[in-house]
Amino acid sequence: MNFNVASPETNEELFEVIAANQGRNFRFGAGCTDLLIELKKQPEKDLTVINLGYLNDPQFNSIENNDGSVRIGALVTANRITSDLTIQERLPVLYEAANQLASGQIRQVATIGGNLCTASPAGDMACALVALKAECEILSANGKVRVVPIEDFFTGVRKTDLKENEILRSVQIPVNNSGEKVHSGFIKVGVRRSMECSVVSLAYHIQITADDIITLAGIAIGSVAPTIKFASSACEYLTGKRFSEIGSSESEEFATKILEYASPISDIRASAWYREEVLFNISKSIFE
Amino acid sequence: MPTDTHKITFTINGRKMERTISPSLLLIDLIREELSLKGTKPGCLEGECGACTVLINGDAISSCLYLAVNVNGKEITTIEGLSTDDRNAPFDPVQEAMIQHGGVQCGYCTPGMVMSIKAFQEHCEANRFVPGREEIKKAIEGNLCRCTGYTKIIDAVESLFEGE
Amino acid sequence: MQKELKVIGKPMPKLDAGIKVSGKAVYGQDVVLPDMLYGAILRTEYPVAELVSIDTSKAEQLAGVVSIITADDVDVNNISYRRDHPALKKGRVNCIRDEIAAVAAETPAIAREALKLIEVKYNVQEGVFDPFEALKDDAPQINEFSSHEKNKNISHPFHYEHGDLQQQKDKSAHIVTSRYFLPRMTHACLAPCAITADYSNIDNRLTLYSVTQVPFLYQRDMAHVLKMEPSRIRVIQTVIGGGFGSKLDMYPYEPICALLAMKSGRPVQITFDREEEFIASPTRQKMVIDLTSGVDEKGKFTFRVAKIIMDNGAYTSWGATTPFVMMQTFSSMYQMPACVFDADAVYTNNVYAGSFRGYGNPQATFAVERNIDLLAEKLGMDKAEIRLLNANFRGEFTGQELEFNTCGHKDALEMVIDGVGKTRKENDKDQKRYKKGIGFASMLHVGGGAKIYPSDGCGTILKMDDYGYLTIITGSSEIGQGSETVLGMMAAEELGIGIEKIRVINTDTDIKPWDVGVHASRTSFVAGNSLLGAIKELKTKLSPKAAEMLKTDEDDLEYDGGTVKSIKTGESIKIDKVARQIHFKGPNDLLTVSHYYEPGSKFADKNFKGNISGAYAFAAQAIEVEVDTYTGNVRVLNIHMAQDVGKVLNPLGLGGQIEGGVVMGMGYALTEELKVDNGYILNPSFHEYKLPTACDIPEIHFYPIETIDEAGPYGAKGVGEAPLIPTAAAIANAVSNAIGVEIDSLPITPEKVLQALSNKS
Repeated sequence: MNFNVASPETNEELFEVIAANQGRNFRFGAGCTDLLIELKKQPEKDLTVINLGYLNDPQFNSIENNDGSVRIGALVTANRITSDLTIQERLPVLYEAANQLASGQIRQVATIGGNLCTASPAGDMACALVALKAECEILSANGKVRVVPIEDFFTGVRKTDLKENEILRSVQIPVNNSGEKVHSGFIKVGVRRSMECSVVSLAYHIQITADDIITLAGIAIGSVAPTIKFASSACEYLTGKRFSEIGSSESEEFATKILEYASPISDIRASAWYREEVLFNISKSIFE
Repeated sequence: MPTDTHKITFTINGRKMERTISPSLLLIDLIREELSLKGTKPGCLEGECGACTVLINGDAISSCLYLAVNVNGKEITTIEGLSTDDRNAPFDPVQEAMIQHGGVQCGYCTPGMVMSIKAFQEHCEANRFVPGREEIKKAIEGNLCRCTGYTKIIDAVESLFEGE
Repeated sequence: MQKELKVIGKPMPKLDAGIKVSGKAVYGQDVVLPDMLYGAILRTEYPVAELVSIDTSKAEQLAGVVSIITADDVDVNNISYRRDHPALKKGRVNCIRDEIAAVAAETPAIAREALKLIEVKYNVQEGVFDPFEALKDDAPQINEFSSHEKNKNISHPFHYEHGDLQQQKDKSAHIVTSRYFLPRMTHACLAPCAITADYSNIDNRLTLYSVTQVPFLYQRDMAHVLKMEPSRIRVIQTVIGGGFGSKLDMYPYEPICALLAMKSGRPVQITFDREEEFIASPTRQKMVIDLTSGVDEKGKFTFRVAKIIMDNGAYTSWGATTPFVMMQTFSSMYQMPACVFDADAVYTNNVYAGSFRGYGNPQATFAVERNIDLLAEKLGMDKAEIRLLNANFRGEFTGQELEFNTCGHKDALEMVIDGVGKTRKENDKDQKRYKKGIGFASMLHVGGGAKIYPSDGCGTILKMDDYGYLTIITGSSEIGQGSETVLGMMAAEELGIGIEKIRVINTDTDIKPWDVGVHASRTSFVAGNSLLGAIKELKTKLSPKAAEMLKTDEDDLEYDGGTVKSIKTGESIKIDKVARQIHFKGPNDLLTVSHYYEPGSKFADKNFKGNISGAYAFAAQAIEVEVDTYTGNVRVLNIHMAQDVGKVLNPLGLGGQIEGGVVMGMGYALTEELKVDNGYILNPSFHEYKLPTACDIPEIHFYPIETIDEAGPYGAKGVGEAPLIPTAAAIANAVSNAIGVEIDSLPITPEKVLQALSNKS
């Protein structure tokens, strides 16, 4: 493993480094926890790692609470997400996903941007963000910004919509401040109770009015398809229903709709059969 | 491709240092090979076992998945930095608790375990928080131990907060 | 009457805990010698192939490469007790671990780079990966050195029997037959393997900084391979980062490292990375057990017939002898009128199995205890009651001629039955999704060594200096289990000196006297008895002088508080003063003694009968689980573990052994399996090979039972292996109890559970 490292500290330096590396082999490194494992296994030739560890830009580094949204910089670590009170209260699905990611040592350095850009179908925070219908703010080396819905950000296994001269700057999550209740959580299924890569994951974020009506539902599933999937028909199914009136037949219908988005494979961790069975079961469990 | 070298300055166990390193050098190699501090243990080199845990500015991280260039301007604490010079009290309270509660068997996971516990203890104290056993388990989830079954280690951590 | 104990039985922190918590302990990978090179091993790309050619010329050209060896460059004997394993392979490879060449270079990176430049041409062949296929007549001979006793592909066959099988079958009201599948589990020591070899051609001596747990057998094996005299090999054990049986055999990397050092004339170090550790370390035996058991109408067991096929892998390690231990469980755990046992270690092209804490016993216990639950169900009898009814007892002389002079089996069962009754009550709500269950299992294991090698003894040398400090030089080894602390405690107890004045030297074969090694839970028992014998001899020097100085009889002396005291007068004298008097005044002697202890056990006869251990350990577990019927995850809630330990020596160390063993057993039960497909290892990482984490552990309730076995030091028996042995069996029984399905294999993965539930409905 042998590579060069460039450590831009300002946006200008960042743009320069990106521009200078166009047409060459470069990778971004934030927490580097996935990147270093990958490079140890498959060293790349003539590689430059653009190290974001010293990038000093609040738009990359901070969590901002705006009216109606939370904006999380791509370089915010999983640990900062779990200790943020707004996220704990308003976005439990994201809190739980961040808290179940790998180990404390990894959460200390692993970033939300890294978790998204790795584009693993098993990405924990990524799955939560899909359920939350987050938007990705993408910055290009010429200074232009574009915003894409998170579902369009993932284009395949370990593939994203990012162009060669682009970098993910932040994610923006809509937050309903009307005082509605949220039923929100992240279910990660693996063999152990910790240190797992999910075999199946389910992120759900449901908003309920004071008089029990579901106004918004976001459901995303991980590790059961080439990318994380947003289960829109399951969400539509819930919207408008009374939350307390979802009984076992409704929850099974809901789970069946989720299953339509799954196309799991069998691998060393589990069979496709198991993944589908479990996805069905945990889907209905969120109403139990 | 010839790689550049990088000059970094950092503090390790209270000592200020300047080093010229290769950019892809891992922190664990800086610590073990370049600085010959062998207390930090290589266990898996992929962030799965926690044996190489050290503190950066007080936070526990896996030194096998951390670029040495990223310690520039920071403070590293390794297991060697926890012991004191006091002949009558050579250990940090975390180390002492691990000894007294039988949290050490083969000892290979111990330095990393101790560093994780140290970071957790300071975090709890800063937040005036007394953890229960489940929280303690979560705090050491990233440190595998093959000998002890963790119970005595959890006892040791619990003892740090007794009387609080 | 035994005198009151002041040190033994009280919690004592480990003597080596201080250096370990400070990061100052030197493990194999921390050794640095002047001018040291780094070695790396080229392993085969294919499990089975003819080696057409090996071209090292490009690698030799790489700057920094010092020496390269292949089988053609070395004159060595095979390793393994069956002598069927060449350290470097010639002509063909037989499994994915096989070593083809090795490099010594200036840095680890250069050594690894050089491996990539070695060109090997393979003629890839079909392998045999199923032991049942290997037993067929038309199977190829897998290991060319196989000795053909029974079948060309059987490395080691075992047959044992006692009792009148037909008579017992006739007596049986119910008979059950099941086939059980036990997986490969690997030790996954936190410290990967490491060795440093230093050869001096000045005196033709080889020094090995090694992680072996059996240094004297290792010295002899190494000498055999290298064709050297054993005494020219000095084995220095570094601090060992986990053993669990994995370091009982010598493996190819060790003589390879020595050969590199001999060839290059410089010290060479080889360390494994985690992937190599998973690929190149041994495993617990994968096996298939067919077990038929019977019970009479009152619930008394009648017979067991066990037929076991073990996947030996391509070469033989000590692990092939696990039937020695397994047959005891079939023949003697619970009262057993008749037993027929057959086990064959069968060669395949899989990775070879080795010895692992419990030594076959977890597999045997799994089969026996699952069958017991099935018998109880047939009888409609309570699963605790059937076990109590058949429990072993003190004074029992088993069909295999084991003599249970002490036996806490029934007490252990009663303790855990009572314990689980209490915790079960607390969690008694069964829910739709989560189902709770309880499982029981017992275990029988050697607890006073195991007479397999020509001697099962241990030597001790003691040296008390002029200042009253004691050095214990013991043949035994510390691998983290805490035996050196127990030895220190015994000396402190007997000589009345503080533990801080005691030093244990146990790492250097040039210094320490012979010991067979760490295995069979023997160290506290055998090394402890050896130490007590040595202390007795030391006192034959100390006591006469002290009596003379105190003007009293030797019988009147008490060693206490750093002094020797007259019980009658209360007058005392410091022990160091006695030592100086002996040295300088008369008889002008030094306080050095040596003692060799050989346990009173016997060798088994050719039919495997005989009392091979100085004492036997018994344990019982009751485990409470909760099964998530949505995901198949099994959560262990409570483990109740009662064990006949003879006598508690160090409660702190004992508790650690118990908890560690139980959690290791939980890994075997639920999460751990080294997956091998067509000879390739699929999960060589901690990411995919799943050790239990802190978040997975249950509450562990431990009840030590003291039966005071007169053969053991202070009545103690061996403890190290026992806690892991019944755990998987008890968990399987608990899962079966929770969801009403048959569990016939390990690990009990969530997928297996869900599959079983789905098949049931």
